[in-house]
Amino acid sequence: MPEENIVLRVEDLHTYFYTARGTVRALNGVSYVVPKGKVLGIVGESGCGKSQTAMAIMQLVPPPGKIEKGKILFKTARSGQSSEGNGWVDITALGRHSDEMHHIRGNEISMIFQEPMTSLNPLFTIGNQISEAILLHQGVDKAEARQRAIDILARVNMPNPERIVDSYPHQLSGGMRQRAMIAMALSCTPTMLIADEPTTALDVTTEAQILDLMRELQADIGMSIMFITHNLGVVAQMCDSVAVMYLGRIVEHAPVEDLFYNAKHPYTSALLRSIPHLGERKVEKLQVIRGAVPDPYSTVPGCPFHPRCDHYMRGTCEQEMPPETIVGPNHMVRCFLYQ
Amino acid sequence: MAENQVASNDILLEVKNLKKHFPIIGGLFRRTIGYVKAVDGVSFYIKKGETLGLVGESGCGKTTCGRTVLRLDGYDPTDGEIIFDDPKLGKVHIEKLSKEELKAVRPNMQIIFQDPFSSLDPRMTLERIVSEPLVINKVLSGQALRNRVGELLELVGLRSEYMTRYPHAFSGGQRQRIGIARALALNPQLIICDEPVSALDVSVQAQVINLLEDLQAKFNLTYLFIAHDLSVVEHISDRVAVMYVGFLVEMAATDELYFHPKHPYTEALMAAIPIPDPRNRTKPIKLPGEVASPANPPSGCYFHPRCRYAQEICKQERPLLRDVGNEHWVACHLAEELQLSGLTGHNK
Repeated sequence: MPEENIVLRVEDLHTYFYTARGTVRALNGVSYVVPKGKVLGIVGESGCGKSQTAMAIMQLVPPPGKIEKGKILFKTARSGQSSEGNGWVDITALGRHSDEMHHIRGNEISMIFQEPMTSLNPLFTIGNQISEAILLHQGVDKAEARQRAIDILARVNMPNPERIVDSYPHQLSGGMRQRAMIAMALSCTPTMLIADEPTTALDVTTEAQILDLMRELQADIGMSIMFITHNLGVVAQMCDSVAVMYLGRIVEHAPVEDLFYNAKHPYTSALLRSIPHLGERKVEKLQVIRGAVPDPYSTVPGCPFHPRCDHYMRGTCEQEMPPETIVGPNHMVRCFLYQ
Repeated sequence: MAENQVASNDILLEVKNLKKHFPIIGGLFRRTIGYVKAVDGVSFYIKKGETLGLVGESGCGKTTCGRTVLRLDGYDPTDGEIIFDDPKLGKVHIEKLSKEELKAVRPNMQIIFQDPFSSLDPRMTLERIVSEPLVINKVLSGQALRNRVGELLELVGLRSEYMTRYPHAFSGGQRQRIGIARALALNPQLIICDEPVSALDVSVQAQVINLLEDLQAKFNLTYLFIAHDLSVVEHISDRVAVMYVGFLVEMAATDELYFHPKHPYTEALMAAIPIPDPRNRTKPIKLPGEVASPANPPSGCYFHPRCRYAQEICKQERPLLRDVGNEHWVACHLAEELQLSGLTGHNK
């Protein structure tokens, strides 16, 4: 992919958590790029590391976690800050509380979380919380910041934005809080938005409206979105390309159509077969993946999926991690079947 | 309500006009200042050996409905009838039974809970968890009890050696299997499955759904399957009922409901399903406003403030659930006139 079409490049990222019970390798060599103006889906089951990639990008990996190895290269708009040349800056090299990181976080890259109630401060009005980022990053006065907050609330289709701007989070419903979170994330027109399960806590009709809104804003503003979810339906509806994660590694990365119609990794195809498809009721049983995601403290030698895989090849799969294999345009898979 | 349609002895559970109101206590003298009408006039029936899906958004009362049917602690119905066809006692009115009489019927009606992490006592071994219903009801003891526990564990796909272990040693999917084994212990007729797979990972969900289907076929079980995931409900249910603010708005055979809905709320639900197919991207139906509060519902049809088809009558009169043909029940004044769209672009 030509460099000018990339906003973020993650290279061989390792995040480890050093706990009393042992080391958890949350990310174990993750590499991907986020293309400009596109939606990249990161999908996987609990504990696969999908949220930790987001935390690493924001420099928010909580202790006892640590970025152990790898690079996160981000194309910053701020001049004179590039450590890697051509406007690229390595986020892993920045301090969590450094000036550079403060400039990037919430301004060039913003994030929305799964549970809006826990990420909004209950003591401040919605308007206050949106204005905070605008005041911090945009250098405008309070009246102007408030007006911008109202504008951005209107932009996310919040009913009655002049009233909502003075409301407290507890006065809003779940869907409205998530709209407020999105408004806050968009307030500084970021280059990249990280959405970590933004609709998982919402009801299906509210979820559909929020996804529709995000699609609309994305097309409008042209920002890149990294969309983290476990829901394959949401992936199909939202994303341009998808990275499938399993136990701290990306096992397949493909354009969304390829992933759903031409999945290569046994884990991806098994996941797709295990979800109920509408209109095929009780025609056949759901396919299952045997076993469960292994305990995070254990290490699986070789391919992390081999103990649950139907195509397990003795003497190969448990020996080493399969390398990245290109099987089509922008289609990468890590599996010995394609060697 | 259904006698004219369905032979009465095919019906295992019939619920008529069920209400469960929770008092709101407040004010200086801690008086009751209002009621949350969590379940407000729900009627449905489940035939023997079938699965009735019960769907609706959070707070619509579907869980309360399931618990009130069983009369779990604190869930005695405010009003209405719950008629269960007990294999020994025949048709019994659950709502009229004393606590003592209830004990005779309970073994035939069991429940599986949503959260496999909080519904199992961490200080009890699997053996104690699964054998508890057998011990309380004095069904078995000694070696026969142990054998039965082992048999139940094998039945749900766990090894009988596990019975000496504690719940923390098991994953979410395995814990849900333990909960299912416990529910099966007394050979029930009816199992209320309250969001049994929503806390599980995608790959484990399928295992539990398949297990529930296998057990149903093996023991001719009847399920009330409560869930918010419309794809899962479609997969497992023979018929589906849709709830909105404490009231059933529609009930029909699964395909009929998904592909030919007759209530505007069901139509909006169907349009909102995130379909796992990138070639079939959907556009949701805009629902203005918020879900009505069960403590202060609007006049007439509870859905009218958000309904794009609403007319004057919808604000005045609350529509009752009625059969518009072929066991398709709808609570909408305009059911006959509206041409609503269901799922499209699928195999049907």
